[in-house]
Amino acid sequence: MKVMVCLKQVPHQDARLDVNADGTWIDDSNIKFEINSYDTYALEQALQIKDAGDAEVVVVSIGPDRVTQALRTSLGMGADRAVHVNDPDADGSDVLGCAKILAAVAKEENPDLIFTGFMSDDGNSSAVPAMLAELVDMPSATGVLSVEIGDTVTVERELEGGALEVVELPKPSLVAIQTGANQVRYASLKGIMQAKKKPVDVKTMADLGVADQAGTGAVKAKIEKIYVPPKSDTAEILEGSTGEVVGQLITKIKELGLL
Amino acid sequence: MSSVLVVAEINDGKLRDASMELVAFAQKVAGGSDREVKSLVIGSGVEAIASDLAGKGGGETYLVDSADLANYSVEGFKKAILAAVEAAGADLVLFSNTPTGWDVAPRIAANLDRAFVSDCTNIEADGSGFSITRRVFNGKLDAQLSVAGAAVATVQPGAMEPFDGSSDGAVTKLDVDLSGAKAKFIKIKMSESTGIDLTKADVVVSGGRGVGDPEKFPEIILPLADALGGAMGASRPVVDAGWLPHAHQVGSSGQVVTPKLYIACGISGAIQHLVGMKGSNFIVAINKDADAPIFEVADVGIVADLFEIVPALTEAVAAAKG
Repeated sequence: MKVMVCLKQVPHQDARLDVNADGTWIDDSNIKFEINSYDTYALEQALQIKDAGDAEVVVVSIGPDRVTQALRTSLGMGADRAVHVNDPDADGSDVLGCAKILAAVAKEENPDLIFTGFMSDDGNSSAVPAMLAELVDMPSATGVLSVEIGDTVTVERELEGGALEVVELPKPSLVAIQTGANQVRYASLKGIMQAKKKPVDVKTMADLGVADQAGTGAVKAKIEKIYVPPKSDTAEILEGSTGEVVGQLITKIKELGLL
Repeated sequence: MSSVLVVAEINDGKLRDASMELVAFAQKVAGGSDREVKSLVIGSGVEAIASDLAGKGGGETYLVDSADLANYSVEGFKKAILAAVEAAGADLVLFSNTPTGWDVAPRIAANLDRAFVSDCTNIEADGSGFSITRRVFNGKLDAQLSVAGAAVATVQPGAMEPFDGSSDGAVTKLDVDLSGAKAKFIKIKMSESTGIDLTKADVVVSGGRGVGDPEKFPEIILPLADALGGAMGASRPVVDAGWLPHAHQVGSSGQVVTPKLYIACGISGAIQHLVGMKGSNFIVAINKDADAPIFEVADVGIVADLFEIVPALTEAVAAAKG
């Protein structure tokens, strides 16, 4: 069985987010990156299938040279090989462009399962997984908290208020994993050493036959600007020493009748 | 004339509140252009809901009614929606950003090769296209996007008040071939809970990623909750990391709480958390980052290290109680 895992490298959750000079994205020249948190759960889910039997885990990512680090980490955690779509033109893709690039990779790889994270920590779109499933004509489930593999794939989708929807999918299918689905492993030292010998295929959009379908020129939803949201309503900020601030809070709590 | 199509959702045999917000959203977009609002109702035995919606702002309302659609399925709903988009001549298709919306909406966009924008807070018609606002980076930044042609979008629940006007629309039944679905709905079940009911507490003290360490919850957060006779909550990252069980989670995927007093410690305020606590009577936020979105919903904010403020507050509460 082959499991394809789509990964995105995103700004570290604690990175300082400054808007770039032309105001269209963050200034990412001097910040740390990490694997998108949702995607780490997707990778872990795939590695658990590998641990339980016979599966090849292929990680796929789109992005510049820095993405090599994310792919090496994934290989260190246990993935077997990586596909890196490294093409300056791909960087400007919108969600549909990214889905088209990943669909081209999926058509080459022909996996039994595709795992992705449910969302990215930067764009927060939660769009690429379902789009990818549509483009490769696979059934799918998004926001998944548990996966059971047999002849079919039984998943639990997270709904609202603690409800879960149980869905049975055939293979091949795409499953978009929610955070908290499992306990994500760390790469072992041995794993990191082995990862150095594992193959990373580097491809361009032209290699994949999607040069005119993705990238800046094919963008349908164009980011005009990003900015710190105007504060619609702001809290009354308490100032002073710790003692003074706590004193003001106690007054408020007393006014609420809770003390 | 093109149209804005509202994909309505049914929950427990009723139209979801979020769907009436979506109608308001659609009416606003249509009002700024020469588009008409139309709607779609999908389900089994839901004709009355479609008639109701057609009179409450939904406008011309399409109905795809089949026993096969009694439960949500991505393939069945996709076919129903694609049929309605075509019948309506819709160049903007709107979904609520809910488990149904985020599961099927991107597929509609990919199928029709249209722009997709999720979790929008505002959409304005701009000639034959749209200008759209949404949040990115977990609520820390806003993005403004332009779409030149047709679009599919999901809208943040709560972004608008539900529509309370009327419309004079007819209900049009669409026959859709639903055969060939590969995924199978099995059931809906409730996730196991350890029985912590945060919704009954007068005071909820919650910790987020800023608490930094699982041991700090019993050390710092719980004593304040105890001192105030309240319960301890948490944000999603805390639960995902396994620091606290899911039963403590406040948010759209956890419990929705409305206590007399909510104290958020080291929580930046991702939308999914805000949904779960913004209805609280009085909100105190303690966070080192003055730009954290949590301060927008808080009544009182303290920009400081929670490890200094919270223990001091716990002591002061104990002292005040004598």
